[in-house]
Parts: sequence; structure tokens; C-alpha cells
Amino acid sequence: MANLRSHALIPSFQRPTSRVMIRAAASYEQELGTLIYESLADFALPVKDKVVLLKPNLVGLDPLGVMNTHPAVIAATRESFLRLGAAQVLIGDGPAMDRDTEAIIESVRLREFVGPLARTFVDLNIDDVERVSLPTRASRLKELYFPKTVLGADFFVSMPKLKTHHWAGVTLSLKNLFGVVPGSCYGWPKNVLHWAGIDSAILDINAAVRPDFAIVDGIIGMEGNGPIQGTPKECGSLIFGDDPVAVDATCCRLMGLAPERIKYLASAGTMLGHVNTDKIQQVGEGIEGLRKDFAVVPEFARLRQAA
Amino acid sequence: MNGRVAPALDIEPAEALASVPMDNFLENTFAEKVCIPLLRNAQNSDGGWGFHSGSQSRVEPTCWAVKALASREGPAKVSDSDDRSAMARGLEFLVSAQLADGSWSATPEEKTGCWVTSLVCWVLSGAGDGKFSKAIDGGLRWICDDWPRDSSWLQKWVRKFSASSRLTRQNPALRGWGWTPNTSSWTEPTAFALLALESPAATQLGRLAEKRKKLGEAVLYDRMCAGGGWNCGNPEVYGVAGEPLVIPTTWALLALRRYPERRENVESLVWMEKNFTKIQAPGSHAVAQICLAAHGRSRDGNTPKSDEFHAKNESLGSVQVASWTVLAESDPRSWLAAGA
Repeated sequence: MANLRSHALIPSFQRPTSRVMIRAAASYEQELGTLIYESLADFALPVKDKVVLLKPNLVGLDPLGVMNTHPAVIAATRESFLRLGAAQVLIGDGPAMDRDTEAIIESVRLREFVGPLARTFVDLNIDDVERVSLPTRASRLKELYFPKTVLGADFFVSMPKLKTHHWAGVTLSLKNLFGVVPGSCYGWPKNVLHWAGIDSAILDINAAVRPDFAIVDGIIGMEGNGPIQGTPKECGSLIFGDDPVAVDATCCRLMGLAPERIKYLASAGTMLGHVNTDKIQQVGEGIEGLRKDFAVVPEFARLRQAA
Repeated sequence: MNGRVAPALDIEPAEALASVPMDNFLENTFAEKVCIPLLRNAQNSDGGWGFHSGSQSRVEPTCWAVKALASREGPAKVSDSDDRSAMARGLEFLVSAQLADGSWSATPEEKTGCWVTSLVCWVLSGAGDGKFSKAIDGGLRWICDDWPRDSSWLQKWVRKFSASSRLTRQNPALRGWGWTPNTSSWTEPTAFALLALESPAATQLGRLAEKRKKLGEAVLYDRMCAGGGWNCGNPEVYGVAGEPLVIPTTWALLALRRYPERRENVESLVWMEKNFTKIQAPGSHAVAQICLAAHGRSRDGNTPKSDEFHAKNESLGSVQVASWTVLAESDPRSWLAAGA
């Protein structure tokens, strides 16, 4: 498969240490461009002359800007990758519940921040697709169609919002990849993934389509009945990392949740990345300084981590 | 009458629609100037359309493009010979894409049918050509045999012990259609199955088709959001009401347009009218126009126009949005009814 993300599945004990950076960012109104550029530059990412695809979390009409990755973060990230020498920086997503993707990006005012989107934004729900045999069998799914834009990108960045999720516990950079499963093949919502088991499907998708990097919008997150109907939660942070599993585990700790108690994240820690703190080199701000305990629905009360 | 209120409409939709003069529709419009040329240029050599110009042919955008071209004057009266030829090649693409079991799949290489089977049957029925009757019959039979998995006896038993089943408000005894086989019932696939089953050919399927239609209609009414309108099919989760969306509301209202006096229809149409001016994107705008026109409601002259929406992001180059825009500016009498 040409350009299918080529990261091998490596047991945790053989993987090198992952690197996660937490940066304080009080609001979307502050100057985010320099902060994001400096953070990305610190990772020395191989993006010069490459096609970069940013995959934000765009889940629904959101005039208040509380459920989707904020456009200020998306725009600043896009500008930063261009400054780092990327040949092209695309933005793409395939919202799960609403097939009018343009209505969603208009509701979040993405065009105001990024500029005209006709040649920058890819609706992954209706992109050309390619069938991919899944390298793992966490679920009963043996194959899935994925957008060619995702499979063809040189550098793929998962950009979720920091949120709890009423079925999965949390939705971060791994769960965000439900948005690369095309609605034109599987519908709105992508119900085949629910029947396959949400936790298992997250693992299979992430084993097939490996994000190279993750940036989590934790300036304002969502707690409680997320990913759509929860309550906004100020957290004042942006989280960067070269291992999406380690980024998600760190985000859980910022939310006051135990990552090893989240089923899909614990499993991901065995083959896709690191969950354990001793294998995560954390730079930037410390967790305790920015930690905000997020409320979860009663079914996930067991995720709570003692302060 | 249980579950009903006095109708808000002064006259029934069909009557209201008949009172709208034909020359109110499609003249030198944005659809004619921009969308029709886009559709002409986007057709692939195999007769199909992709979701964008230059993309691989798929069943869903081909259905909408054919429907759009056919809508301009009615499928039997398309005056432009090139468009007539484009339509014919599109219809041939659809027929050739049918799988052995009568269904159609979402991608050319996929060999399992899905919800697009309903869309194709609806479009082929609308073409009004007897040569498609065998394809339509095979598709309708597949639709009638495609039961969702969530309402099987096993799943009903499993749901008794499932926490998630207690967190949603929907009647598991009702059975509509899913996006893909062996999944749950959702608004849009159920609506399109009902539209497909309006085909005169469905009468030959007898009681099974009638049973499925009644169950499907019940699913849609069960899944309506509080106060009117539909989203994907989750009217409530964790006690929080879901927000309706324009596109599923339109397809549901078209599928249920035989019941204009029902409270749910009236409330949903009112919701659509109230929210029409808040729409921000060309796809939803076009689909909402279709909904209002099909119910004989006039379009507010102060609302944004298609070209203003298109200017924002060029509709992301979507063949589907272009097709919906053509349909929105066409007379629904020319394309909505099965067999039209």
C-alpha cells in the first residue's frame, strides 16, 4: 500500500522514549502563532517540502466554539508548519454526525482564521478512498476504506480538543481518527465502528493510519457528557507530542483521569505508543500546575485519579 | 386524533405546490450558470460522477447528478441533447454498478450493498424508463430483506443488560434501515428507503414492502427531535435533547410527506422555516429550499442566495452540493415523485 503510514507496531519495551510538551495558553485571543511555532520547532519535525495534513476534531455546528478544535489553533498550526518549510498544509476532517461539513466549518468561522478553504480544506467524508487491510484484529473489522488524502499525506497531525466522551471515556488524538473513516462509505454516524466496538475500532484505525504528531487544544476543553453535549472547561493548555498515545495519556493526567483505566488507551500502550510516565519525556509546563479535574459521566467514574 | 394537532398548513402541500407557477423555477439562475456546467465537466468517462470533479465515480454523487440533470424540465423533456446523453450514460453507470444480490455499494470495489441501494432505486424509478424495471425490482427486494441488526431478538435481549441502551430514548421494537448492513436504524437511510418504496414497482412486493414502510415511518416519527426536525437519529442522549439538522430533516419530511397533518410533520416544517435564515452553507441551504418548495412554502426573498454561499468556499467543489442546488432551483413536481 503506497504511503500507508509506515510506523511498525512495536512492543512498548522496545520503543524509544516518547516526548510530550505542555504549554500554557490562557485564551484563544492571545498570540498563538509564536507559541505553536516554537513548540513545533523544538521537535525538529521532518516536514520540509512535505505535504502536511492537519486533522482537527470538527464534530458539529458550534457557534460558541466549545466542541470543536478552535480555528485559532488550527490556523496558527497551519502557519507554523508553513514556516517550518512544509510545501503544503491541508486541513481535513470527516465529521461523524452531520454530512454538511461546510456548515460546520462555517459555524466555527474557520474561513475567517485560515482564509478561503476551497483549496485548503478536504472533506474526508467524500474524498476518494482506498481499501486498506487492517494490520491489527482488535475488532472484527478486517479492512476499512480510508481517504486518499490521509494515506497520501507525508506528515499527518491529529489535532483534537481536550474532551471527555460518554461512550469512550475521553476523546483525544486517538479517538479523533474516527474522523478519517469516510461517511460516504459508512454513513453519518459511522455506525459500523460502534458495532465493531468503539475501543477496538480506535485501536484498529490507529494501527492502520498512524498520526506522526498530535496537538491537543486544551485551552478550553469539554467535561461531562462530551463529545457534543458536555460543559466547557477551561484548562489553559496546548499539548504537543510525537507519540499520540503518550500525548493522550498526558492529557488524561491533565484532566485528573487515569489513562491506564481507559480501555483503548491501555491497549494502545502495548503496541502503538507509551502510556507509562517513565517512558514519556515530558517538557514544558508540569502536569500539576495546569491540572484541572474534568467531570465524567457516572459510567466512567472509575477513571478518576486521586490528586 | 391521538398524536395529532390541527394542521398549521392552510392547504395540503400538493395543493400548495400546484398553485406555484412553473416559471418561478429555474431560469437564468446560479444553478444554470454555475452548477450545470460543473456537473457537465465533472462526469467521468465511465458515465459516473465522483464527489468532486476528477474523482473516482461513485454511486451516490452519480445519483444526485442524474437527478439534477433530469430535474431541469422533467426526465423525458430534457432539451439539451448533451445533457440527455450525460443522463443516459449516468443511468447506465448505475445499472452496471448493481451487485448480483440486487444491491449497490458505496464504492466500485466494494461487494457488499448499502443504503445507496435506496437512492439508486429512487433515481431509476424517477427516470420513468421501463428498461430499468428489473434493476429496480432487484434493488427493492434487497431493501425489503435488509433488516437492521439492533432490532434482532438477540440484540433486544442484549440491550436489557446494556447500560448504553438506558441512556438513549428510542423504541427498539421499531425497525428502519441502517447505512450499512447489520447495523442500527438511522434517519437518512430510513428516509431514502421509504422514498424508494414509493416506486410503483414496490406494490409487486406485497405485504413485506407495506410492513417495512409502516415500520420505517414509525422509526422516523420515533426518532424526531423534541419540538420538530431530525438529526442523524439520536433525539436524546443522557437526557439531553439532540439538535435537529437541515439535511436529515429534509429527507425525513419528504419521506413522510403523505402525512401533512401529523403534528410531527407540522412541527418539523415550522422548525425548517424558522431555521432557514440561519443556514450558513450551500448544501444545507439547497436542501432546505427543496424541503420548503416540496411543501409549497415560499422562499424568503431576504435570505442569502446560492451564489453568496458559493463565494465563501466554492462549495468545496462538491458535485453533490451542485446537484442539490439545481434541484433546489427546479420545480419539485419534475423530479420528486417516483415514476416522475
